Amino acid sequence: MFNFNKLNIGKITALVAILAWLSLLFTDLTRLFGELNQIHTAIAPELSWALEIVFFILIYIFYNNAINKTGNYNFIGLIWKAASTALVAAGVSGLIIFFYFLLQDSKLSKDPLLLNFFYHVNFGLTTIFLISSTMVWKHLILYQKNKIVVQQWQAFEVVLLMSMFFMFFNQNTLDYSFIFGLVFLVIFGSILSANLKWIPYLSFKDKWKALLFMVIILTSAAYLFVQLISYSSSNFHLVNLTDNLFLLGLFGFVFLYALFSFLVTLFNLPTSSVFEQKLKEAINFQRLSRSIQPGQNESQVLDILMDSCMSAAYVDAAWMEIQRKSLPTEVVHQRFISNQDRKEIREMMDSSKPFSEYFKEGVRWKKDFVMGRLGHDLYTSAIVFPLKVNKDLFANIFLLKEVNDGFNKEMVDIIATFVGQATISVENHRLLNEAIKNERYKEELEIAQRVQRSLLPSRLHHNNNFSISGFSEAADEVGGDYYETFQFNENKFALIIGDVSGKGTSAAFNMSQMKGVFHSLVQLDLSPAEFLSKANSALSHCLERNHFITTTYYLIDTSVNSIIYSRAGHCPTLYYSSEKGESEYMEVKGMGLGIIRSANFKNYIAEKFLEYKTGDVMLLYTDGIVEAKNADGEEFGYDNLRLALNEHHGLGVHEIKEKLIQMVYEFVGSSTLPDDDYSMVVVKFLR
Amino acid sequence: MLNIEKTKVDQHIILTLDGEVDASNSVELDMAIQQLLADRVSKILIDGSSLEYISSAGLGVFMSYLEDFEKTGVRFVIYGLNTKVKNVFHILGLDQLLAIKDSEQGALEVLYEE
Repeated sequence: MFNFNKLNIGKITALVAILAWLSLLFTDLTRLFGELNQIHTAIAPELSWALEIVFFILIYIFYNNAINKTGNYNFIGLIWKAASTALVAAGVSGLIIFFYFLLQDSKLSKDPLLLNFFYHVNFGLTTIFLISSTMVWKHLILYQKNKIVVQQWQAFEVVLLMSMFFMFFNQNTLDYSFIFGLVFLVIFGSILSANLKWIPYLSFKDKWKALLFMVIILTSAAYLFVQLISYSSSNFHLVNLTDNLFLLGLFGFVFLYALFSFLVTLFNLPTSSVFEQKLKEAINFQRLSRSIQPGQNESQVLDILMDSCMSAAYVDAAWMEIQRKSLPTEVVHQRFISNQDRKEIREMMDSSKPFSEYFKEGVRWKKDFVMGRLGHDLYTSAIVFPLKVNKDLFANIFLLKEVNDGFNKEMVDIIATFVGQATISVENHRLLNEAIKNERYKEELEIAQRVQRSLLPSRLHHNNNFSISGFSEAADEVGGDYYETFQFNENKFALIIGDVSGKGTSAAFNMSQMKGVFHSLVQLDLSPAEFLSKANSALSHCLERNHFITTTYYLIDTSVNSIIYSRAGHCPTLYYSSEKGESEYMEVKGMGLGIIRSANFKNYIAEKFLEYKTGDVMLLYTDGIVEAKNADGEEFGYDNLRLALNEHHGLGVHEIKEKLIQMVYEFVGSSTLPDDDYSMVVVKFLR
Repeated sequence: MLNIEKTKVDQHIILTLDGEVDASNSVELDMAIQQLLADRVSKILIDGSSLEYISSAGLGVFMSYLEDFEKTGVRFVIYGLNTKVKNVFHILGLDQLLAIKDSEQGALEVLYEE
């Protein structure tokens, strides 16, 4: 919508400008015609002036609009715009002269109406050229603008606007006030012409183009100026359109700015390569400083680094050696040098100072680089820059030149900066990768956690004769505690609790093995001692040398109110006897699974039998509970657990469990984190 | 925190364990014993009187050398354990496989008995 309007404004102003020019032409020709035929047309010169001003303003608006619309800073394109307009204006003017030359002294050549027509054409084109150039200059002057320049330009525009109306005051004569106004405009224009900040940004080639275009503008302007002067002096017309302060002021401004630009560009030519170099360095620096994007790798950063270093120091040949631990040195980014030359130079460096010293010192080398002469036929100076990441030497950059002492301080400084920036990029890249990896590990661990949670039973088998409740909490993401039940028939149940040595992931793996062992052996309906012997021999094959599992295995038969159990190194079961009215730990000898990895194991375990009564409570737990430490380093201990069960045995299994867990957590306190896995199974016999 | 001190007395080496053995430092204990075996020490005495706590990882270290001790004829005696730590050995059943004595005197007797 916006663009549409803008386009229309451009078209409309152009159209109206043409109309203004036509009416101006018509007015003047009518007046001339009247004069020639002695008809009093009574057209005041003010009408022509007014139309002229309208024409100026419309052209001004048109070009202001057109150049602002492009909006970019393609300086050469802009200057070409001005130069091409200049060529057209000068060309048409030339054609008109050529036309009169053809007419020779014919009658037509003396015709004032035709002469006047061409005068208007010349005037129109000159105006277009001057105003379009002024708009281009405006764009150039306001490049990298500040407030003062903008204010100056606005003041200049106001003065230009005033100068259009000047002819109303001095009746278009060349008096002192006119001269004064012209001098003022020219001085103002020359002050503005000092704003040439765009020139350094031209490349060497563009500067040549700019020079050419400026010459075109200068010669065209000069030619058109002379042309106009000759028109004014010929004095054939009734209304002089061109001896006007606005146009002459613009002539001065356009010419001066073109001249200044030409000279400054010319004098900037020799230094432009330096400026270009600095600009390139700045761009390279920016490329390096952008951290490596995802999908890019270190090699790309090193590639940019090599390019940057080479162009910064006009290097003739270069390569990079990447060093990795326990891997042979890898040569990468080899530039403009054969393998043979490279090897020769490398050997030379190993045996000649100062390079040999650097390679001997390695990471301990104190300076940022090592620089020296080479005895090579072609390459006579070299510099080596180490790349260090986390204080580790990670690569060496070798830069060679065919001249002696080819690296000056500025080059070394800029290369050092590049190297520093590349190091940061590589370091960031590695850190990022590490972070991603860690994130992945964390995800894996979460998966392991979910899998492990599913290893613990969600419901425990029981019948109406007893109720049961379990709890398990791991210190790390995954733990090594384990409990499970199995139902043989309506009265007979197996119950197991286990604790895998160690904690974390390795414990979790062993725990899942334990689960597998349980499920395969429980089917065989073995006695507890037999079960443990078989479990021991099975686990002996898969447990690591210094790992073991403690467990207690129970068979509960509710038809005869019996519990038969065997203990494999697990914490003694706490048993509340309703008959005695207190709880005690059930002593039975035992041996952890995996400690004796032979048939001898069965000699170290025993089976015990007990008959339960209504109201008895059996508490299975892992050592995390009794070894839970508070902030003072004291353990929760066996006594506390026993007393707690004495106190709470009357509750239901869930409540007993909740109470005991709560007591343990309260004992530990909120300030210390649990450092072991806590598990507990409460069994209460109901009848 | 675990501090392991090695002293040579007569024909035996005493390893004095001071502090706690847990998963984070059981490797130190493992290395100390491994070193003794590598040095072909035939009589090893563990002074556990300053040992405040031992985790399953620590027990795993002792357990893993049972076979080596038996094969190479190394005599390995632990003494001075406090009740709590001793109970941990007992619950696991390791006291049936390792010589655990209350006093240094008792330990030396086992170490040097014919």
